[in-house]
Amino acid sequence: MNRALDRAARDHGARLRAALAARFRDLDIAEDAYAEACARAARAWVTGTPRDPAAWLFRVAERAALDMVRRRLVRSSAMLPDPEPPPDPEEELMAGNRLIPDERLRLIFVCCHPAIHPDARAALTLRLVCGLSTGEIARAFLLPEPTLAQRLVRAKNKIAGAGVPFEVPGPDAWADRLDAVLSTIEIAYARAHADGGGTGRHAGYAGEMLGITATLATLVPDEHDILALAATIRFAEARRPARVDAGGTMVPLDRQDPALWDATLIAAARPYLARALALARPGRRSLQALVHAEWCSRGSLAEPPPWRSILLLYDAMLLCRDDAITRLNRAVALAEAQGPAVALEEVDALDAPGLADFLPYHAVRADLLARLGLAEAARAAYDAALRLGPEQAERGWLEARRARLGGA
Amino acid sequence: MQYLLLIYEDESVYGDNHDSPTVAEIVRRHMAFGEEIGAARKGGAGLQPTSMATTVVTRAGAQTIHDGPFAETREQLGGFYLIDAPDLDAAIAIAKKLPLHADGSIEIRPLLEME
Repeated sequence: MNRALDRAARDHGARLRAALAARFRDLDIAEDAYAEACARAARAWVTGTPRDPAAWLFRVAERAALDMVRRRLVRSSAMLPDPEPPPDPEEELMAGNRLIPDERLRLIFVCCHPAIHPDARAALTLRLVCGLSTGEIARAFLLPEPTLAQRLVRAKNKIAGAGVPFEVPGPDAWADRLDAVLSTIEIAYARAHADGGGTGRHAGYAGEMLGITATLATLVPDEHDILALAATIRFAEARRPARVDAGGTMVPLDRQDPALWDATLIAAARPYLARALALARPGRRSLQALVHAEWCSRGSLAEPPPWRSILLLYDAMLLCRDDAITRLNRAVALAEAQGPAVALEEVDALDAPGLADFLPYHAVRADLLARLGLAEAARAAYDAALRLGPEQAERGWLEARRARLGGA
Repeated sequence: MQYLLLIYEDESVYGDNHDSPTVAEIVRRHMAFGEEIGAARKGGAGLQPTSMATTVVTRAGAQTIHDGPFAETREQLGGFYLIDAPDLDAAIAIAKKLPLHADGSIEIRPLLEME
């Protein structure tokens, strides 16, 4: 593979696809035309790289897209417009000076439209905005590739057939629609984060979430929720090197060595959080980022873990959104601040659909039961967690904890 | 684009009496809605309750007639609008304004475009 093409695709791919999608109002054409341009570049750039690779790709993709539109018109027996003449050398030169519009924000809003099935939104965003292959996304979502491909096709058909507009929503719809975008990123990142070891499947994919939040924060600089999410993802990614020990087993947050955390990412996270807090009263996402910031302020394992402030932050979070996941996270801090019995009472009072299939629920319960000396119930809870197919690092941790209980 | 807005509500809230204040109120609100969306409205009607429905079912070439709607659901199809909107977001904005007695669902279906 051509190195210049590689770099151009990585640096400009999302922008080029977005510009094509906005111009032709068609995701398939944008994708196919961009792929066609890359294929032509792979052949043409062997002898020399153009002065402005992005402009070259855009120009060639634009022409390919026009051809596709024309072929479609022929098929639907409508009037055939005059064919465009092939580009001459002068035109190629001019193309280098044309500004490629930045339509990434539009594309993100199209991919995360509430009319698209929530499962498909993240996949579509990863495909079209981040440029991941269908195979990569299928592996990340633990789905067979044909299933994932079908889901993408269905989502793209819905966008075209139902008339989803290629527009950034107006002020009255902004809050709802932005929330759909941020939730999509949260879901996508949660999948990458759940795998502490990052054992291949999510390689690069967590990185995409760093990229897309940075892009969003650049395109919409004054939205506190975007900034808070950008901070959260950076703080969380910063801890990745400490999340798994040498034996490949998960290390819980309060036992991670802060010296191993990525100081550069933590430093990148802080200004996002500071701006989010300066712009608005902290909501759920800012509080979430504050929880991460609190952990990332720990200087060494010798310092006591900040459980009391974490508990206070979760108390505040409950006022923004009282749901089972927030309560479960709060219970972990509660156990450290006020003992496992109170925390277990909280966890056992939880009642939400899907809780039985939520691995952290069983893992937290198992830990609390074990601490209270209820070995048999703890074993059952560990088994329930293990049955839900944890990643390798998490599995190792759960199995080790279960083994410490002794018995069957 | 043209969209069909299908209105699903629990029809029992309107009762059997067509002259009830509840029915008069929803009719008044539909008139106001029609005026508000103006030229976007291409057609529409309210439907009689599902107790008036008859369904013709074809299975393996055989046709049978049934009393009642196609499916028993918690909310029933009670009326529809045909609208013209530039895109789905515009159709959603119109659907959100549709009058409902209380709870309900509006299904938005784009029409097949015939060339």
